[in-house]
Amino acid sequence: MATQQSTRTVEQFMDDPIAFFGESLTHMHSIARNELEELHRQAMGIRFQQHVQSIEMVGKLAGRLGVTELREFNDVVPLMFSHTAFKSYPAALIDNKRFDLMTKWLDKLTSHDLSHVDTEDCKSIDEWIDRLDEQTPLEVITSSGTTGTLSIIPKDKHGAREGMVLWKICLFQTFGHEPTYDELNPAVDVIWPNYAKGKLGHLRIANMIKRGFTGGDESKFHALYPGAIDTDLMFLASKMRAAASRGELDRLVIDPALTARKDEFIAMQARQPEDLDRFFATITEKLRGKRVFMIGTYNLMYDVAKAGLERGIRDVFAKDSAVLTGGGTKGFVLPDNYMDVIHEFLGVDRIQQGYGFSEQSAFHWGCSEGRYHVQPWVIPFILDPDTSEPLPRTGRQTGRAAVYDVLLKAHWGGVISGDEVTIDWDLQCPCGQTTVAFEHDIIRYSEKRGVDDDRITCAATHEVHNEAVEFMKAFES
Amino acid sequence: MSSAYTVPLFLRGEVIVDDLVSFGTRTGAAKFQAPDMARHVHRLPLPSPMAMADLYEVPFDEILDVLEALGNALDFERNMHLQEAYEAALLANPLPPEMLKNSYQILKPLFSRANVLEIADSQVGLEYLNGWVTQRLGDGRELRVRAFGSRVLHIPAGNGGLVSAVTILRSVITRCDTIIKAPSNDPLTAVAIARTLADVAPDHPITKHLAVAYWKGGDVAVEEPLYRPEHIEKIVAWGGFASVKHVTRYIQPGLEMIALDPKRSATIIGHQAFSDDETMREVARCAAVDIGVANQEGCANARVIYAMSGTDAVGIANANRLGEMIYEELTRLPAFISTPPLYPSRELYDHVEASRMTDDWYRVIGGDQREGAIIVSQFDSPVDYSAMLSGRVANIVPVDSIDKVTEAVTAYTQTIGIYPESLKRELRDKLPLFGAQRLTTLGYACSVPIAAPQDAIEPMRRMCKWIVEEACDPDVVTPLWRLGEVSAQA
Repeated sequence: MATQQSTRTVEQFMDDPIAFFGESLTHMHSIARNELEELHRQAMGIRFQQHVQSIEMVGKLAGRLGVTELREFNDVVPLMFSHTAFKSYPAALIDNKRFDLMTKWLDKLTSHDLSHVDTEDCKSIDEWIDRLDEQTPLEVITSSGTTGTLSIIPKDKHGAREGMVLWKICLFQTFGHEPTYDELNPAVDVIWPNYAKGKLGHLRIANMIKRGFTGGDESKFHALYPGAIDTDLMFLASKMRAAASRGELDRLVIDPALTARKDEFIAMQARQPEDLDRFFATITEKLRGKRVFMIGTYNLMYDVAKAGLERGIRDVFAKDSAVLTGGGTKGFVLPDNYMDVIHEFLGVDRIQQGYGFSEQSAFHWGCSEGRYHVQPWVIPFILDPDTSEPLPRTGRQTGRAAVYDVLLKAHWGGVISGDEVTIDWDLQCPCGQTTVAFEHDIIRYSEKRGVDDDRITCAATHEVHNEAVEFMKAFES
Repeated sequence: MSSAYTVPLFLRGEVIVDDLVSFGTRTGAAKFQAPDMARHVHRLPLPSPMAMADLYEVPFDEILDVLEALGNALDFERNMHLQEAYEAALLANPLPPEMLKNSYQILKPLFSRANVLEIADSQVGLEYLNGWVTQRLGDGRELRVRAFGSRVLHIPAGNGGLVSAVTILRSVITRCDTIIKAPSNDPLTAVAIARTLADVAPDHPITKHLAVAYWKGGDVAVEEPLYRPEHIEKIVAWGGFASVKHVTRYIQPGLEMIALDPKRSATIIGHQAFSDDETMREVARCAAVDIGVANQEGCANARVIYAMSGTDAVGIANANRLGEMIYEELTRLPAFISTPPLYPSRELYDHVEASRMTDDWYRVIGGDQREGAIIVSQFDSPVDYSAMLSGRVANIVPVDSIDKVTEAVTAYTQTIGIYPESLKRELRDKLPLFGAQRLTTLGYACSVPIAAPQDAIEPMRRMCKWIVEEACDPDVVTPLWRLGEVSAQA
């Protein structure tokens, strides 16, 4: 492939990689290493200059560290955000419904201008997200954390659209083959083994997938549960757990509007068995043998597959269906043969695995060798897990995953993860893809630590609280 | 990987290093070994409760003599056992060498005659420990009460050797039969003290009623045969959910738990602190000590500091100024009190750095080298990650009124350091209702008295069995059978 390294080309690479690579998965992952590195080097310098101007937090951090330009890859590492950057607002702002101040906080994390957003009479997180959807280019995603706060990542609608196109490229094309018309325009039903709606975390993706894969056709979107998960309720649950663990449950003031909604939520949970029956009825009656796209974490996939097999349903979908899973097996104990169970139920030729974290633009897809090839617009880093010093970009390195995703425009693309990963920088993967890759085994540092430790101190530490949170969860479920 | 050290089984005077098995340490960099307690557990408990009789033949004066001799022998420079414990703690504990050494140097005065007497008398009562205390009740009977020791198992905390030392001291004073499960983060201090005891008082009943062993907390092969009412009457459990959870499954009538669960502490600084620069500097010095001692690893350390500076512009400026001064004083503390932490929490600093960028709400002073930091909230709430504060990272919260402070005091709150004294007196009847357990002068949060209740309970009295003997003269105390005659006649 002839790519000329003029400025225009670099900008196309970083602003519209879909066009740059001619919508081809094969082109994306066949680019020569040195060529890609040069593109990376130029792109990171340009994106940094844009974001240092347009994102206040990035400008401030760069100013404090005295960074005025990025020349070498490692130059970006001190500027990387950890997950905490996206939840650094005081939780009291949400309690006090100061969504004007929340907007002001978020404004400093995005390149989009939020100064005109009207949040008057905004009474809940969900309402606030609706306002942002209506009045700005943003399409934020949220997730709940352990400290009783919610992270809010200012993704935008452009990125969501682009992301879905990229997903389709990776899902339906096969590396080494030029894309066919069918692969570029797949007609599928979507299977979503989760709640149909919600603004919390991955539920937000449901809408993006609906738009991206069915053109918004509700009849082609099949959710396991029809209801929506309420972000405010989830925020409350996370706050309650945090408060319980701090011994402060008796101090928690609960919004009466939420208390009322809690019953709805309980009723929704009670309806789950019926919903499950209806879901399987739909699958067997309407979707048997059809080509579908299904996405879910390992444990969700396994639960659905197991429930299906128990009902005597197997080999349900067309062989050329696209199935994507990943996300680790967070806190769930799955039997060794869980992938066999999933395969048996779905009956598809291949189940693809992806690795990513929500701050990035897309997943990194697993190859035939089980490695996750890094998408070409993402510059990967392996950091010392404790000090965040970058490890050499040669040989086999294991450490904390970090990326600079130059495709991201709405928010800063330099992010440090909580995952331990391995990259063999010198490896040419036998699968044929030229891009560097994360080795298959990935584990969260939080799951790795504290496994074998019985030390006791008299101070009430965060770990103690996490234990308490787990304890509370047992009572709630 | 070779073993860095061995934690022997100290069995009532005998030191056993047989049947060694390996254990990992916290950092994973070193391993240690200890006798396989699944094979030795049957030797830990007393064969019969009658075997405690010898403790009651020892006069209290003799107990004082033995403890004093023990204290004198706990001289770090000369005591090989302590030096060994120190070497092990260097690998097993997050504290730096200067501080660990200091924690052994304070053991000697703990066992001094005067100190032991004060603790014994104030925390149980000498007369109850050494005989029957007589009292006449309203119905005319004579009541005599005596505090007996019980068969106690201790699961002490391991942050610093003092906890192990206090555990042994409390046990000896109360004439308990004592089994200590050594903590993995301070594996050898209890054994070192026990071995020193065996050196100064071989074959003495006090030595014969002490056992120290290590097994992994929750090991059913050890705990199930041991944690039974026929072997143990009380379990003193430090530590949080994980360690207490193992224990609670064995609690039943006849086996009681005394929980010294993990705590946090707070600080309240009155508006008087801001009256002039000199006062502010002095307050900052005291607060820095409360934060910094032993690198904030303890429960008594200051973490969230409420400053009644007010939240207007002047108030916030004052809080910021106080934060700067506290940071200066904190980083100036001598190495035996406080140093930059050896293992700063990465997760905490991820949050601190995020706060630093969120300067509408927080001002972060220091922390660039993870040496410790002061986060000054620019409004009246603590940081949402306050439970993570450690390694000399504290949060100053400016408030307008005391109500904001009481909101934050909970059952987890142990110590509250307060400035000035007048504010403390004002608050002392109110804060306990919210959960506070100890109010002290600012600067003394970590100078914890042993001769005082702990965590709102009296552990030593709880370790005793309170036995009653009564004498009833039928002519004075109307007996039930006569009561029957009286009512029959009526």
